[in-house]
Amino acid sequence: MVNNSVLVIGGGIAGIQSSLDLANMGFKVYLVEKSPSIGGRMAQLDKTFPTNDCAMCILAPKMIEASQHPNIELITYSEIEKVSGEVGNFRVKVKKKATYVDWDKCTGCGECTQMEVDGAREFEGEIWVDRVKIDEGSCIQCGECTQACVEENKEKHAITNVVFERRNFTELPPEERVGREPETLAQRIALMDEKSRMDFWQKELSKCIKCFGCRDACPVWVYDGAELEDAEWITPGEIPPAVPLFQIIRAYRIAGLCVNCGMCEEACPMDIPLRAIHQLMWRQPPESVFEIIPGLDAETKEKLVQAVRKQPKAEKKQPAAKREGRK
Amino acid sequence: MNSDFILTVCPFCGCGCQFYLQVLDNEITGVVPCKTDEISEGKPCIKGRNAADFINHPDRLKSPLAKRNGKFEPISWDEALNIVTKQLGEKKQKYGADSVGVLASAKCTNEENFLMMKFARTVIGTNNVDHCARLCHASTVVGLAKAFGSGAMTNSIPEVEGSDCIFVIGSNTIEQHPLIGSRVLRAKEKGAKLIVADPRRTPIVQFADVYLPHKPGTDVCLLNGIMNLILSWDLADKDFIAQQTEGFEELEKKVKEYPPERVCEITGVDQAALENAARIYGEAERASILYAMGITQHTTGTDNVESCANLAMLTGNVGRESTGVNPLRGQNNVQGACDMGALPNVYSGYQSVTDGKARAKFEKAWGVKLPEKVGLTVTEMTDAALKGPLKAMYIMGENPMLSDPDINHVKKALSSLDFLVVQDIFLSETAQFAHVVLPGCSFAEKEGTFTATDRRVQRVRKAIEPIGDSKPDWLIISELAKKMGGKGFDYKSAEEIMEEIAQLTPSYAGISYDRLDNGEVLAWPCASKEHPGTRFLHKDAFVRGKGRFFAVDYKEPAELPDKEYPFILTTGRLMFQYHTGTMTRRIPALERELPTGFVEINTIDAKKLSIAQGEKVKVKSRRGEIEIKALVTDGIRPGVVFIPFHFAECAANELTGRNIDPEAKIPEFKVCAVKVSKGGKHG
Repeated sequence: MVNNSVLVIGGGIAGIQSSLDLANMGFKVYLVEKSPSIGGRMAQLDKTFPTNDCAMCILAPKMIEASQHPNIELITYSEIEKVSGEVGNFRVKVKKKATYVDWDKCTGCGECTQMEVDGAREFEGEIWVDRVKIDEGSCIQCGECTQACVEENKEKHAITNVVFERRNFTELPPEERVGREPETLAQRIALMDEKSRMDFWQKELSKCIKCFGCRDACPVWVYDGAELEDAEWITPGEIPPAVPLFQIIRAYRIAGLCVNCGMCEEACPMDIPLRAIHQLMWRQPPESVFEIIPGLDAETKEKLVQAVRKQPKAEKKQPAAKREGRK
Repeated sequence: MNSDFILTVCPFCGCGCQFYLQVLDNEITGVVPCKTDEISEGKPCIKGRNAADFINHPDRLKSPLAKRNGKFEPISWDEALNIVTKQLGEKKQKYGADSVGVLASAKCTNEENFLMMKFARTVIGTNNVDHCARLCHASTVVGLAKAFGSGAMTNSIPEVEGSDCIFVIGSNTIEQHPLIGSRVLRAKEKGAKLIVADPRRTPIVQFADVYLPHKPGTDVCLLNGIMNLILSWDLADKDFIAQQTEGFEELEKKVKEYPPERVCEITGVDQAALENAARIYGEAERASILYAMGITQHTTGTDNVESCANLAMLTGNVGRESTGVNPLRGQNNVQGACDMGALPNVYSGYQSVTDGKARAKFEKAWGVKLPEKVGLTVTEMTDAALKGPLKAMYIMGENPMLSDPDINHVKKALSSLDFLVVQDIFLSETAQFAHVVLPGCSFAEKEGTFTATDRRVQRVRKAIEPIGDSKPDWLIISELAKKMGGKGFDYKSAEEIMEEIAQLTPSYAGISYDRLDNGEVLAWPCASKEHPGTRFLHKDAFVRGKGRFFAVDYKEPAELPDKEYPFILTTGRLMFQYHTGTMTRRIPALERELPTGFVEINTIDAKKLSIAQGEKVKVKSRRGEIEIKALVTDGIRPGVVFIPFHFAECAANELTGRNIDPEAKIPEFKVCAVKVSKGGKHG
């Protein structure tokens, strides 16, 4: 039996054009693309050879046509796993990756990408929350995007599958919670409210016996002595050293250099989860990892920040106008 | 260029962490943590990380010294040994062998302590050999030996992690045994309950489920109170008591006299907290007691230890994994020095000198007649020196001028000696009084073994050649012994000494350098070459047969505060310094943290005396007076002050008294009466 349908692999300009031609010829077309959106390389170009036409001017109408064509079914953010059968009757196994977005409901408002999470910033050119998917590797499951979606689209919110949302685990009583508990420590810390986060660090950092193992083992710690050995900052001979000042200074010092190799945690005789600090600091400025510095007024805190921070302050994302209104 | 990593053992506390010394062309360039070490897991504390920094210090003694016209002058080894031989020989001839006293060292290796003990007993012919265990865990050695039959930590360090309930009494575990403290916190993460009893708010208190800030010296009362509650709630392990112990009836009768109301009145703890502690400990499946100086350094030290043993036996928490009564020994080899018989009453392996059979065995092995009379302890030696019978002393690696109680008394005693020879790596406060000083080697320059607090024997390896003209201590002792006519001191290496130890000491019989170098973890008793060592003692049955309960009554400390001296002084150690500081005060990273001492005083008391934070105050006792910086804190009971004993310039032991435990002869460092007043120079 010959099936009257075609599978096109790759949603670049070639894939889109082929799909459109085939669809117009009356074939049912499945267009599979591994990234979240079709468009491919051409979408990244400015002008095209040899006519110097604007690339997007050619591509955009085709992309829209492909997405709305009754004969084309877009399968984005998916990859081919297995192809079997023979000419005229192929069986293809497609792996559709989770985006945690319900495409039937998504209005494309883009609100989910606009919210600012505790000063979320770009890290090495990679934006933490991507346009139409949640990157499982980067997500710390704060739940802010869900909240933005819910608030924007009250009736039909699209981000439905964020399983570890902050509200779920911090605001709802246990019996009403759904989904899995957060898995990594950094996720759990990110989900904590301000008070429990502070209590958590208080408890963990109080274990410190000031052996300087975290500092000595650190491959990117290049400072000689510095504030950790300065009586102005850290009282000598005190155990535990000022919580969390000691760890904040250490963390600030290596904020941009840390590769999260974990040697600090490995070297800690008291098993303080130091890796979590650095994991969080990749996504958040150090001061918000700890939420607040107990016992320090704003001025001193600012002084501390200025004194120990080597790299320029990370630019915070400008919140959208609407978002400000919401807050 | 020659570079090497030498695996060795940390020379500070009793945890016995191993690490590598990084050696470059016969010079130590640093400490590298050892990931495969069972105790430290590659995470040593600050002392361990900086352990190599004192080895090459310019203050190291590089040649023997003799005091001439009040000044030390370098002399040759031959000359030095000749003087010592002549002087010690003379004293022995003129006043008898018992006029000489010998102090071995908990800082030196097992081999050296064994030799020192052999030297005293065969060459000098006296049992006057002791070391600083007298000042820390003498009451443990006596008390636990009486109750269980073996005076050592019953379980091993890693087992602490598996306990359900950890009762820390009189131990500043996180500061003094950081790697054991880390195990306690891990156990707590796994859901164990932590009870801490300590008059001082030490760092471990913040993790405690129950905190009992009892008055110093009321430990017996507190423990009896807990036992009273356990018995009245019927939480005692009756089967265990019936099968494995004796003397329970007397104990039962005694603890009945300690109802909670009375206990709370005496100890000053809250009744609800006491009940809570008793319930947690009584109901725990695997409960472990950790204790240290807070229990032992009292005139009732032995009673305190026996009470701890009582509590553990009452609930059947002995002889199983992750339970037990665990005295945390303070020094790298204090356990070993005791095992080696550097004590006035026993040979190696705790074989009594008064036991004819044991004596005959050692006489046969060494080919000399051995003295029968039990010798003098450290505390008795200073008295004897002052009164006259003790004429000469040979001190190896000890610093009684800071570590012993009532320093002024020690000073008089040392100056009244006819002859004092001190063997050390630095010119310590004690060495200043010596007639001859012999330069020994640090742990990095010699071979040997240390025994950690949980009876684990580990190899110390030579990393560099001895500094200057110094020699390994075992070599010095054997050369001196040969010069004095001693037989059986022809050792070519430390390993040969270990072979002799293994022959004569049943608990060390299976321990050899070969096995240790093969990476075996051997904790004594290790009875034969095939024996795997013993992780926890008293399995199935106690070493002495049946565990013995001792009904002990609460006795007040010897010196209580009065109108003139209203405060209780308790002494102790701090994280960043170690004992008398001969080593740690020469390590810049540690000295930077804690350059000098302080007196901790409660906020309320400070207010009454209008003492400000950091102000210089005078602390005075009946024996002495020091000037010291005040540290005003809420972390100590009102009416109690705390001074660390590391610092010569404000030595806590100028104040402490010489009252000793009648059995263990341990001085009461933890309680003495003092007065605090303003009026330091800068006050």
